[in-house]
Amino acid sequence: MLEIGELRVAYDGRPVLGEVSLTVGSGEFVAVVGPNGAGKTTLFNAISGIVPAAGGTIRFDGSDLLAVPPSERPHLGIAHVPEGRQVFPSLTVLENLQMGAYAASGRSAREQDLERIHALFPVLAERRGQLAGTLSGGEQQMLAIGRGLASSPRLLMLDEPSMGLAPAVADDIFERIVEIHCTTRLSVLLVEQRVAEALNFANRGYVLETGRVILEGDRDTLRDDDRIRAAYLGM
Amino acid sequence: MSTAQHIENFLQLLTAGLLTGAVYGLMCVGLSVIFGVMRVINFAQGEFMMLGMYFAYYCFGAIAGYVVFGGFVAPFIAALAVGPAVFLVGLLVHKGLVSQVTGIGGSTLEAEGHYAQLILTLGISLILANGGLIVFGSAPVSISTPLSSTPWVVGPLYGDEILLFVNQGQTISALIAVAAVVAFAALMANSRLGRALRAAADNPVAAVYMGIDVDRAYRIAFGFGVGITAVGGGLLASTSPFQPYVGIDYVIVMYAGVVLGGLGSLRGAFLGGLTIGLVQQLSALFLPNQLQNTAIFVCFLLIVLLRPQGLFGRAARRA
Ligand SMILES: Nc1ncnc2c1ncn2[C@@H]1O[C@H](COP(=O)(O)OP(=O)(O)OP(=O)(O)O)[C@@H](O)[C@H]1O
Ligand SMILES: [Mg+2]
Repeated sequence: MLEIGELRVAYDGRPVLGEVSLTVGSGEFVAVVGPNGAGKTTLFNAISGIVPAAGGTIRFDGSDLLAVPPSERPHLGIAHVPEGRQVFPSLTVLENLQMGAYAASGRSAREQDLERIHALFPVLAERRGQLAGTLSGGEQQMLAIGRGLASSPRLLMLDEPSMGLAPAVADDIFERIVEIHCTTRLSVLLVEQRVAEALNFANRGYVLETGRVILEGDRDTLRDDDRIRAAYLGM
Repeated sequence: MSTAQHIENFLQLLTAGLLTGAVYGLMCVGLSVIFGVMRVINFAQGEFMMLGMYFAYYCFGAIAGYVVFGGFVAPFIAALAVGPAVFLVGLLVHKGLVSQVTGIGGSTLEAEGHYAQLILTLGISLILANGGLIVFGSAPVSISTPLSSTPWVVGPLYGDEILLFVNQGQTISALIAVAAVVAFAALMANSRLGRALRAAADNPVAAVYMGIDVDRAYRIAFGFGVGITAVGGGLLASTSPFQPYVGIDYVIVMYAGVVLGGLGSLRGAFLGGLTIGLVQQLSALFLPNQLQNTAIFVCFLLIVLLRPQGLFGRAARRA
């Protein structure tokens, strides 16, 4: 579904991603882990087109994504739940969800999707009229995920959904993500600092360090890898 | 003067203030949309208003003979026709010029972007004003309609002593202005387009994640902004004479109103414009006529000093 080949990204001539290759198959749950500054958010922004690629390829469903303007990409069925939530603060909760459904893929089944999202995160139904900027951090994260789902995407990209949340809230959100993945067979690409959890849920994973994939494999390979155990799992 | 005369005088100016203020409010809403969505201060706003006045003037000349009750109805049809026309001009000016220095790409170098925007919009303002001089000539013109010299007489009130004259043309203009503001506010609040514009204003990058073409959203906001202000100009065109340099007079009115109302809020911008109309007219109670615009400016300075978030601004709107 998503195939990234030797992607390179540079900021002001300074390389940040060097030849990153990564694939997400249909219905797959793929995790990308790595230390701060490794280039995980940059990778997501290159997929969304917010930062330009300096080289390499990104294909989505076989077609060249780099040739598609950034604002057209969500319409293909790609939803990006960005790092730091980035909800629209002066729009209400409901309006944020409606913005999520702005992309063409979300337009057909809007009512139904809204119900599904409300069932997943009941707090978004209770607070539908509240300005998103006044929600708590955890509520904003739920809104950001709900907004991503509102377009009925085929690929959901989540950038550190647990950032800044209490462990219990983060666990809750993780459970929801797994629930969504299992019930809809949606493809998920997850960036996460909570490596143990991420590797628990994912089918496969990539370890990104200073802009390069230093390790990749399925869940069990990664969990048993000594470097991962030492560096991320504290074992 | 007797007390009754004082009251009459006050009521007369109050009425005039509310009627002109409503049109100023509409003009302020236009400026405020551009600032609110694009974070651009458009110094050429007054010149787009001037374009609206001339467009209304020529449009009136073209249609007055054909419309039933032409003298009565045509000025308002002309003023409304200004909206789409200047909207289109705005789209073109944005596409050709403004988009070069704004948008997501422009915001990477914030300070540099602001200087470029300032100089560009000042340049557009000069080109439009001087171009107007070449095309329209320097002699002041105005739309003359029977309504602008016919008042409704209210009263006598308060025994026999108070008579209020309410200018018919201005009243209809004010009603149209209020209706236009209400319609635009409803569009922004309830439509898919309005939501997209507000989202692009709130967080342009996240708007791209939603599939919004932010450059196009900015272009539409710019078109709306100049179009709305130009309708205000079209409505004023039958009230007072104008020439190609008229923009500078009104740009002060617009800035004062928008700052007064709190930057970025439509409701605030309208109320700000209304207040400016009132200040302008009521200042005649204790200031000579030539100083009316000075009163607006003093009012503007006081607001900036004492309440920079504006009279009607909600300080913590943005999280
Ligand atoms: N707009 C930018 N301009 C210049 N450098 C940038 C920009 N954005 C990111 N970088 C740099 O690129 C590198 C990768 O950043 P990125 O945000 O992709 O890391 P990350 O893996 O998401 O880190 P974290 O886990 O902390 O979110 C960092 O060194 C960062 O300083
Ligand atoms: Mg990051």
